[in-house]
Amino acid sequence: MRHQWILVVLVLFAASPAFADHKFGRQVRFAGIHPIPKNEGGGICYIEGPHVHIYAANKLEYRAHGDDHVFVGDPVAYGYDGPKYAYKGPHPIHVEAVVGGDPDVEYCYIEGPHYHYFEPPDGDDFKLAGNAYFYVGTPAPVMVQARPQYVGINAYYRPFVYTRPVVEVEAPDGWIGARADFVTPGVVVETPGAVVVDHRGEVVGPAVGVEAGVHVAVPMPSIAVGVGVNIGGPAVIVHDRPGAVIIHDEGHGKFKHGKFKRH
Amino acid sequence: MQKLLLIAIAVTACAACSKANKGPSSRDGVIAAWKKGGLEPSAFTTAQTDIGKDCASGTVNKLDVLVCTYPSEKDAKAAEDAGLKWVGDTTGASRAQGETLIVVADRKKADPNGKTINQIVTLPAK
Repeated sequence: MRHQWILVVLVLFAASPAFADHKFGRQVRFAGIHPIPKNEGGGICYIEGPHVHIYAANKLEYRAHGDDHVFVGDPVAYGYDGPKYAYKGPHPIHVEAVVGGDPDVEYCYIEGPHYHYFEPPDGDDFKLAGNAYFYVGTPAPVMVQARPQYVGINAYYRPFVYTRPVVEVEAPDGWIGARADFVTPGVVVETPGAVVVDHRGEVVGPAVGVEAGVHVAVPMPSIAVGVGVNIGGPAVIVHDRPGAVIIHDEGHGKFKHGKFKRH
Repeated sequence: MQKLLLIAIAVTACAACSKANKGPSSRDGVIAAWKKGGLEPSAFTTAQTDIGKDCASGTVNKLDVLVCTYPSEKDAKAAEDAGLKWVGDTTGASRAQGETLIVVADRKKADPNGKTINQIVTLPAK
């Protein structure tokens, strides 16, 4: 339980606003589409190129691109309604192809299915399967090294209720999500309430659709089993990579094995 | 000779393409692009600023807008940062389109999702 609190504190710290770069007054520079903080009205800012606001960007969902902050999270989680492209797993982002400027590669660490408003660059590093892009290239050392700093974005997004992409296919060979350095060691979590732990051993979050008393334990992956767990509202799918998932149902929990469906 | 002719045609065509992507080089061209895109610009009047010598200000859909023209694209690009100073402590953008600099400031909070600002700075390039 204490570890959970530490995790929550760390995530909140990482998601807290960064210090504003006061180039002119209180201006903070952004480039590209990004969410608007709730206390500024919420929703999405649709200005595609460089622009300024007088609120800060957080450290978890934004990367520095020159003087600008570029959003690398999932805009659909905030109500984005423009063209979108599904991805599964972590991947590089060629920022200059999205917002212009000098060549710059940044990294998205969202492990499950998610959206961006841009497509990946042409080439062999991304494979399209089941209408989702999978990164199958070799991650740069800096991507692996920076992962602990940004992997908290997964815990940050879990409580969001929105329609995530549904990816029902097996990941292509070479997918980054199957690499040892992108798999979090498994843990066992026991709480009085319902908690779901995914195949990577991370707490998926409060289990909407899973009744109280459910105890889920996940060891390290070893057997190929597909498991879907519906959390956080409709069409939220956490699933489907080869990995052993053992679920002990001590109450009346609802879960499904096999393929995943939009609910 | 035929080769030279082909090269000359290709170079001319490329120059035309390149120019087409740079956006209009006059204030009138910018305003015409906004109107064509469904925006409602007010009359623009000469503005004395330290951003450029040839500037005019007005409003577009309740947003404050400054349009400056420069002798070259490079000069317009170099003035983008100065444009942000004109924006001040509010949401805004400063974007060079060809030899023109377009600066937008949402001082009345009229464009909460930035869609109009996006149109103002991108329509002239289309």
